Amino acid sequence: MQFKSQAVAKPYFIAAIALFAGQILFGLIMGFQYVVGDFLFPLIPFNVARMVHTNLLIVWILFGFMGAAYYLIPEEAETELFSPKLAILMFWIFLVAGALTIVGYLTVPYATLAAMTGNDMLATMGREFLEQPLPTKIGIVIVALAFLFNISMTVLKGRKTSISLVLLLGLWGLAIFFLFSFYNPSNLVLDKYFWWWTVHLWVEGVWELILGAMLAFVLIKITGVDREVIEKWLYVIIAMTLITGIIGTGHHYFWIGTPEYWQWFGSVFSALEPIPFFMMTVFAFNMVNRRRREHPNKAATLWALGTGVMAFLGAGVWGFLHTLAPVNFYTHGSQITAAHGHMAFYGAYVMVNLTMISYAMPMLRGRSANSPSAQVLEMWSFWLMTVSIVFITLFLTAAGILQIWLQRMGETPMSFMAAQDQIMLFYWLREAAGFVFLLGLVLYIWSFFKKGEVQTVA
Amino acid sequence: MTTDTTTPDEILATPPGDLAIWFFIFAELLAFGVFFVAYAFARARHVALFNESQQQLDITSGAINTLVLITSSYFMVRAVAAIKQGLSRECARWIVAAIGLGGVFLAIKLAEFHDKFSAGISLSTNTFYMFYLSLTIFHFMHVILGMVILAAVMLKAKGGGYSAENHTGVETGASYWHMVDLLWIILFPLVYVIH
Amino acid sequence: MSETFTKAMARNIFYGGAVFFFLLFLALTFDTIQTLPKRDHRENITDSVVRGKHIWETRNCVGCHTILGEGAYFAPELGNVYKRRGGEFIKGWIKSQPTGAPGRRQMPQFNLTDQQLDDVVEFLKWTSEIDTNKWPPNIEG
Repeated sequence: MQFKSQAVAKPYFIAAIALFAGQILFGLIMGFQYVVGDFLFPLIPFNVARMVHTNLLIVWILFGFMGAAYYLIPEEAETELFSPKLAILMFWIFLVAGALTIVGYLTVPYATLAAMTGNDMLATMGREFLEQPLPTKIGIVIVALAFLFNISMTVLKGRKTSISLVLLLGLWGLAIFFLFSFYNPSNLVLDKYFWWWTVHLWVEGVWELILGAMLAFVLIKITGVDREVIEKWLYVIIAMTLITGIIGTGHHYFWIGTPEYWQWFGSVFSALEPIPFFMMTVFAFNMVNRRRREHPNKAATLWALGTGVMAFLGAGVWGFLHTLAPVNFYTHGSQITAAHGHMAFYGAYVMVNLTMISYAMPMLRGRSANSPSAQVLEMWSFWLMTVSIVFITLFLTAAGILQIWLQRMGETPMSFMAAQDQIMLFYWLREAAGFVFLLGLVLYIWSFFKKGEVQTVA
Repeated sequence: MTTDTTTPDEILATPPGDLAIWFFIFAELLAFGVFFVAYAFARARHVALFNESQQQLDITSGAINTLVLITSSYFMVRAVAAIKQGLSRECARWIVAAIGLGGVFLAIKLAEFHDKFSAGISLSTNTFYMFYLSLTIFHFMHVILGMVILAAVMLKAKGGGYSAENHTGVETGASYWHMVDLLWIILFPLVYVIH
Repeated sequence: MSETFTKAMARNIFYGGAVFFFLLFLALTFDTIQTLPKRDHRENITDSVVRGKHIWETRNCVGCHTILGEGAYFAPELGNVYKRRGGEFIKGWIKSQPTGAPGRRQMPQFNLTDQQLDDVVEFLKWTSEIDTNKWPPNIEG
């Protein structure tokens, strides 16, 4: 850690990991509800568990992004953070707002929560991933603006590197596209059309800029490869991301009432979306192979390489599998979507955050890397979580293929629930893989407390 | 390329201009390429519809535009040749000529679009017109982008920003412009001519 | 000729490419917005449909169901449920929840009034008439 104010990243990372654990617990609850339908009913109905699962995911990834920015920006700008106090204040506001929202989901019926929080004035709730009550949404905007102000001012007064500029651009984009969550027309088609401007342009647009910047930063640090080389590849990769990904939004516009030509635009451009992910994988391995130093943090290197591979598999390959309109006609809204969602989110955004945390956390605790035994534990957690998410994805893919076969093809299609009963085996297997994931997560958290010989920062 | 002193081997080894533009060109060619293939598939499925709709296109203006773009591309070749001899002003003039022809292309194309739009044709009219409008408007926007790139190169050339030794920028702009030309050379026969 | 690959050019392509494709996206969006009235039959969005959508949202239906294929995959697709089951069945179904069948997936009881039930049905009816390019593949959704 080169600058004192980088320390504000620490609580962000800790909160991120804690919420990650919460996300996994609720994932396991839902996974169990898939096989034993009335599990925890009516205490925690499936829709509530799902809301908690997905919202925790979004919130902890945002915590991770913000922590990453607070760690990365001072070091890149070579100056102390503009206001560490503001960063800490925003941390508590965001954490309390997030916690209250989750408590609200779990304790109050959703309709009551909506009525209590002014949803009748400006109805924004009840849409997938954007279920947050109005005050939470406004809170997110305030926290995001204060955060952006803080890091933008830091960059303005310091060195302006390409990595910080790309990161800033991604984070500003994140805030701007979130504003579409306040637009909820009564026409469902329009509602859906612009809902994707938040959801798609986040995960297949501006978030990838953040991902690229974080990965580039860690790669510079652990490989010692020349910044010029890494930064120009960063630009080329994110250029490809936006060239393919913006019009790629069209792969969501096949069947929601939008004109037929989106089938062509969406298919053509999203078929190219794996390219930037593939480039990112090649890039990560290339940089590590060309390394000019042996960084003692082996775990961080593993996470960085893992991000490249898993993002390519989850977002690239599994995305491509069902992105062409004639295929998507059958797979749309099936377990195939869930399979892709799980591996893509883990491979891209979970792993890039864990990469950053793996690199930065030891630094924040006054050492260049954790003890070898702690790193071994962390690498075990890497393999357990990664392999189990691969299996979760494979089981959901199998479930999806069967579901489509039974429910959407053939002369005598089954009803939804009849088809679900037929694929129960795969839901059981998925849940089992979920427990392996939890085991990986426990080891991951344990690795932070593992003692041993450590190298202190010179 | 008579003024070029590099051997054929060297030309093959590295594409002219900045490598970064070639990533862009590669992505663009892929996007257009997939669209062309999709067009072929759609055409095979709706031969009668495509034949009928294609009759309504103005082949003459398309043919003129092909000549315009090829000539414009040739002007860029001259611009690169000029800068390789260190002739900045001459290079800038050739680029102005290339941009001018780009403008002519746009004007002719606009007239064609006006004609179609006033006939009430849109992206949702039928599959052929979806492809016709998508491909030509997509290409139209590339011509504009190419002109913007060429204008930036031209301004730098005019200010003496390039020399016989250092002229990657001119080659970069020329590479992109040739791509725009190439796309039209494929697009024109594919959409206008082949029945 | 030495190989050239500069960061400045990579950056220009990033900015240029992003702006260019975003403008194209805006152009397509503009055309979509112009075309939508013919496909979404917005003239049929009555006050009842508007209220129905509000109930759909405030009961977080999308937390279990899909609508036009978007949402959760825990419960049946409802974009075409009006055509599959009809309005009376939908109302009766909502009123009779939860089934309480052991081990089966359960839907909460929302205690909707008759007016609210009618609104939900109106919303689902309107939704089922959207031109979705013939999706879903069959009536089962």
